[in-house]
Amino acid sequence: MQLGFYFDQTRCTGCGACRVACKDWHDLPAGPRNWMRILYSEKGKFPDVFVSYLVAPCYHCLEPVCVPACPAGAISKRAEDGTVVVDSEACLGNEDCDVECLRACPYDAPQFGPEPGARMSKCDFCLERWSEGKLPVCVEACPTRALDAGTLEEMKARYGDVQEADGFAYSEGARPAVVFKPKRPSSR
Amino acid sequence: MSTASGETRIVRTTSAFDCGGRCPLRLHVRDGRIVRVEGDDAPEPQQLRACLRCRALRQEVYHPNRLMYPLKRVGAKGEGKFERISWDEALETVARELRRVKDTYGNSAIFLMGGGGYLAALHSGGRAAARLLSMFGGYTGTYGNVSSEGAVWAVMAQYGSVMVGNSREDLLNSRLIIMWGWDPARMISGTNTMYHLIKAREAGIRIVCVDPRYHDSAAVLADEWIPIRPGTDTAMMVSMAYVMLKENLHDQGFLEKYTIGFDRFRDYVLGIEDGVEKTPAWAEAICGVPASTIERLAREYATTKPAALMDCQGPARSAMGEQYNRCAMTLTAMTGNVGRRGGSAAGGLMGIPIGHMFRSSGIPGMRNPVEAGGPSIRGTLDLQLRLVRRVHINRMFDAILEGEAGGYPADIKMAWCVAGNPLNQLGNTNKAARALKTLEFFVVSDLFVTPTARYADIVLPATSVAERNDLTRPWPSGPYFTAVNRAIEPLGECKSDLEIAAALAEKLGLEGFNTRSEEEWLKSFAEENEETREHIKDYDRFRRDGVHRVELAAPIVAFKEQIESPEDHPFDTPSGKIEIFCQRVADIGDPLCPPIPKYVSTPEDRNDPLVEKYPLQLLSPHPRNRVHSHMNVAWLREVEPHRAWINPVDAAPRGIKDGDEVHVFNDRGKVAITAWVTERIMPGVVCIFEGAWYDPDGEGIDRGGCANVLTNDAYSKGGAAVLNTALVQVSKA
Repeated sequence: MQLGFYFDQTRCTGCGACRVACKDWHDLPAGPRNWMRILYSEKGKFPDVFVSYLVAPCYHCLEPVCVPACPAGAISKRAEDGTVVVDSEACLGNEDCDVECLRACPYDAPQFGPEPGARMSKCDFCLERWSEGKLPVCVEACPTRALDAGTLEEMKARYGDVQEADGFAYSEGARPAVVFKPKRPSSR
Repeated sequence: MSTASGETRIVRTTSAFDCGGRCPLRLHVRDGRIVRVEGDDAPEPQQLRACLRCRALRQEVYHPNRLMYPLKRVGAKGEGKFERISWDEALETVARELRRVKDTYGNSAIFLMGGGGYLAALHSGGRAAARLLSMFGGYTGTYGNVSSEGAVWAVMAQYGSVMVGNSREDLLNSRLIIMWGWDPARMISGTNTMYHLIKAREAGIRIVCVDPRYHDSAAVLADEWIPIRPGTDTAMMVSMAYVMLKENLHDQGFLEKYTIGFDRFRDYVLGIEDGVEKTPAWAEAICGVPASTIERLAREYATTKPAALMDCQGPARSAMGEQYNRCAMTLTAMTGNVGRRGGSAAGGLMGIPIGHMFRSSGIPGMRNPVEAGGPSIRGTLDLQLRLVRRVHINRMFDAILEGEAGGYPADIKMAWCVAGNPLNQLGNTNKAARALKTLEFFVVSDLFVTPTARYADIVLPATSVAERNDLTRPWPSGPYFTAVNRAIEPLGECKSDLEIAAALAEKLGLEGFNTRSEEEWLKSFAEENEETREHIKDYDRFRRDGVHRVELAAPIVAFKEQIESPEDHPFDTPSGKIEIFCQRVADIGDPLCPPIPKYVSTPEDRNDPLVEKYPLQLLSPHPRNRVHSHMNVAWLREVEPHRAWINPVDAAPRGIKDGDEVHVFNDRGKVAITAWVTERIMPGVVCIFEGAWYDPDGEGIDRGGCANVLTNDAYSKGGAAVLNTALVQVSKA
């Protein structure tokens, strides 16, 4: 089984509710450790402007390039649900390792705190919630219902298998577990 | 309430911020501490989803700067130096000063400000303080609501009612939605409003946004963005009326049946009254919208039925703000969209008569003896009558400085500020700071030493919403009712504003101030309030759930009855009709307060010679990552840096690059802030979201980025605080 996300980019207002809910649920301090990030893109010239937001959690890739990149073997892909998880205790920290996972990841999912020796942590698909039959907190927090999560198969069946979005490049090497309803200048 | 150590219990509650949403929250509480926040868990489509603000509630409640005990000032006023004192000393000091000022100057020298920071039935600090001070012999108070006064005045003139909205799901019955100065992605206009609008867009309903900014609502919803210069909305609307009249697209039958005075408006529009035809070309010169665009939108709005013209309150916070709402309402009548499914009566308030904040119960008010003998003001549109005994909210600091000699009702010597941050949130913050320094005594109760509280002599620590039981309502209605349930015990020595007022009553020897327990009050509100009595049959369950949802068989449509059976249901105006010409306004006899909606040029618009010195117009909309100046917390601050929006066309000649530190300034003050160079704001306009905390340095430059350092402490004839009418210049710091 492979878990994955769905993101309707046409609905995202960039409000940040997903990001704040993630920090609250996982008790992450303000600062650079953002398991959920929101990328902003603005194109065009006044008054013909195009704006998009892209949520960037960890896409729990089918071929997670962070796993082989980690010199300590701290990152693994779970057989039972395909999520990519990190054993932060095993991580060497950003001083003893040149953040190889972050450099390998095409989506900057691995997150480090500001402190010297900070160890990697990242979106864990809210597995604690998932085990209780709940959706990841970012999904439940979205005021415009732009997010969903489940098995990738289910997401594709429900929303189609588009794997492109404004500001997103599908990595053939990593094969991120995410499908989109992309926003395009012509789509509004 | 007791729970075994380590066990998590869920408290179902909501917020009481000055917000247009009231979202069910589930607070996870462990060992007496909130550890997580979840939102509503009702099944869709009833689910009311909270926004990012309440998701960060924990950081507000447990903010390291939360006040935990009373303070007294030890440094200079405004310096922010305080030391801890006991409640007894604090209350004794306040009581002594109240008595001294009363004995020396009389009750009118006591001024009450604030109240907007916590809006609920019971612990609403403004109401408790007003009751106490009335029992003490009275006080001088404010008139007006800094947010919506222009819209309130306009709907009372036109319809005689503030219940001008259709319920949100009715947007899906529309065929065209025009969002005019409305950005619900930031300014929560009822929980789920953006979601309803997105569903409307997905249903293929065309959405047009008219706004100086390509805001996030427009970025998600708009088929078309029409940028318009601030303060000129009315000119564009008037010229849309011109197009409809010239092309005979207006609904003459509707106008004849339901309105009065349209002929007067028509004469103005066509230039019969003043010789100036309000053509699209005339409007283009004023508002910067191409005449062809105005013509096209006028035709589209007049011929697409039903259509919802959704005006708001922001553009009405301007020098002639009420004219914008009045003109929008007039267009809805011209197109026959009032009282119609999928239509809109406009009016900027969007309220429905189920769960509207204006209809909330509260602890009983008392007649303020200081206001006795004043003129009768019930229902009046003449603001000057309302200001005989009161001070307009956006002039309170001028009133403190100028007193009776300046035409104000009193010489103010002391002030009490409850649940408010007026220095930061009203016009002309530097003047506010000067004024607060002149007070003989100033007491503030709040959660923090806010920019206002820095000028206090005594600061009293108030409980947060997580530490109270209460009943709350959103601004623009439900259809639902919410309850605040106490999740944690009061932190430190914090008290609610009601408890503070009750303790002061005791110190002052006033009996009968608080006659019921918290639970008795709340239950009585639910039982005595007409709406809650009708809808809430199981009070205990309502409290337990924290929310009571009202299922609507069909969407609520404002003025449906008035339109369907006008004989039985007249409008609540003297004529019983929609008053496009309003005699009550004509009686005021002020050319700047016309009885029909009109565009009038004003100080600090682009025609003001001041543009030579200050060529840019400033907007100060609601921030998305604060509730005004509330929720100034790290999780929210990092969502969006506080920046000044500026178009590249304005940035380049000033040598300003994205991310540069800039100064935004005018004669009222100077703000240091980071520039955001973006195509999303029209040239000639800059935007700083309100609510960032004022932080003046030694040279008088505000390092906090408080927009109101630049705004004017004036009001329009309808009482709107003119915060969106301000000229500024920007330079590289």
